[in-house]
Amino acid sequence: MNLLLIFIAAAVTNNFVLTYFLGICPFIGVSNKLESAFGMGMATTFVMTLAATATWLINHYLLMPLRIEFLEYVTFILTIASLVQLVEMFIRKTSPELYRALGIYLPLITTNCAILGLTLFIALRDYEFLEAIIFGFGAGVGFTLALIIMAGIREELEFADVPKPFEGTGITLIIAGLLALAFMGFGGLIAS
Amino acid sequence: MSIFKDFAKGLWKENPVFVMILGMCPTLAVTTNAINGFSMASATMFVLVSSSLVVSVLKRLIPNQVRIAVYTVIIATFVTVADYFLKAKFPPISKALGPYVPLIVVNCIILGRAEAFASKNSVIRSLADAVGMGLGFMLALVILGSVRELFASGAVFGRTIIPHWHSWVVMILPAGAFISLGILVGIFNLIRLKAKNEKRKVKN
Amino acid sequence: MKNAIRMILVLVVVGLISGGALVSVYNYASPLIEKNKEKELKDALNKVLPEVVDYKEIEANRLYEGRGKRNRLVGYAFIAEGNGYQGKIKIIAGIDPGLKELKGIEVLESSETPGLGAEITKEPFKSQFRGLSVVPDVTFTKGAVSEKNEIQAITGATISTRSVVKILNKEIARIREVLGR
Repeated sequence: MNLLLIFIAAAVTNNFVLTYFLGICPFIGVSNKLESAFGMGMATTFVMTLAATATWLINHYLLMPLRIEFLEYVTFILTIASLVQLVEMFIRKTSPELYRALGIYLPLITTNCAILGLTLFIALRDYEFLEAIIFGFGAGVGFTLALIIMAGIREELEFADVPKPFEGTGITLIIAGLLALAFMGFGGLIAS
Repeated sequence: MSIFKDFAKGLWKENPVFVMILGMCPTLAVTTNAINGFSMASATMFVLVSSSLVVSVLKRLIPNQVRIAVYTVIIATFVTVADYFLKAKFPPISKALGPYVPLIVVNCIILGRAEAFASKNSVIRSLADAVGMGLGFMLALVILGSVRELFASGAVFGRTIIPHWHSWVVMILPAGAFISLGILVGIFNLIRLKAKNEKRKVKN
Repeated sequence: MKNAIRMILVLVVVGLISGGALVSVYNYASPLIEKNKEKELKDALNKVLPEVVDYKEIEANRLYEGRGKRNRLVGYAFIAEGNGYQGKIKIIAGIDPGLKELKGIEVLESSETPGLGAEITKEPFKSQFRGLSVVPDVTFTKGAVSEKNEIQAITGATISTRSVVKILNKEIARIREVLGR
């Protein structure tokens, strides 16, 4: 039950993009085509789940026992960067098809603040191992959801007559605002 | 002259937030009021200036293949310093900014300036560039923070501007952040488009 | 080969310098951070148990015993948390030695909707808990208050109100067991 709540909270009520503003760069940059939004979302979900697992293990079996928590940020960002590199190499070797689908998005993920944000939240909230993994997966699903909804809207937007200064980023941000309002409707799902 | 140019471009022509659309997470997340925006920008400025300085001093010593890793470690180190300093000396600010202080590590402005500018230019020029970009970021955050605070509570920097304002709660919500920034980016573009058109007219 | 050695060397040196710098920052900052935390806890405890002079920790970050003048037991303070409408709500509350009535509550953390659920952090809501009976437990109503253990829900924020009440009831029940009442 608790795990389900964590998943719902991460995916919709406290959606990473629309309430924590994490991963805004790809949200604005890669959300103009539905197909690429889906690819980016999948790649991010995959890395998020892995990063949640890896940093939890590092935090609990390396940083905490050695009492070097002050190296948290340095370690976390290096872990994420190496993880992304490893995943890229692994996918390229094992599944060229998957690589073609996700490959180009992987390098972009290292600087996606949603991943580092995720690992920081896990450390901050003292999640258990399983909770951390579910939280990572849920956050990824929420990110994908926001990205896909946005891409769907923006594909329609091509036919709309947006005032010139608002083309691109301006209108995307305003739509994101409306989406954030809509997502508030999910509030209360997690109430105890 | 060129040093002044390096400094000034960050404020307007290449403003990191309004023009280059970088560093969006902190811009949107902490600007519920002007003070938070200012504190966030100061912390970012500290990290940006220090890491640009170190990167440009060390630029000849860092092998090309591992440069991103080294930059990241340098940035993360300064971020940790800033975070501990805020926690120790300014606990209320640290609490208000929460996890967005450590997230300065992945603020694309900082890595972007290290890679695009500090790794190629002299110490003095890198410093001018970093300070300019930092101030441009601060400008953006303070404007956004002031706008949101004004409409949310009728005050700016905690000082009442419009008495008896009926507060717009939406401005403190995430939705208000997105919508205000969207409109500000639009206004910024409008001004730039107008300026461009006028220049063209003068030329013709 | 030479290049690889240089790469590793640079990475190791940068790592060492960074680590060394952070150790000294940590040594400088951590006592101050500890002090801030202690002060924060003490301020919160003083708000929910006003007559208290000294505290004894029963369970770290969860349950405290408050002593007044001449070491008289004046009540207990407890910290509890649960999910609200938007996210976690964390509360500190003071209760009398007999565990019969609340002395006050403070909200330590919450992310409820501003203007609605966020009213739980404001005085009109919090003051309802001063002297509120918790026997058999706390309840809430949307109408006028008629019982000694009842509070009035915030208009438009029933879920946030219910969350606060639930968090309190759950923790009070637990404390009764811990203290054997």
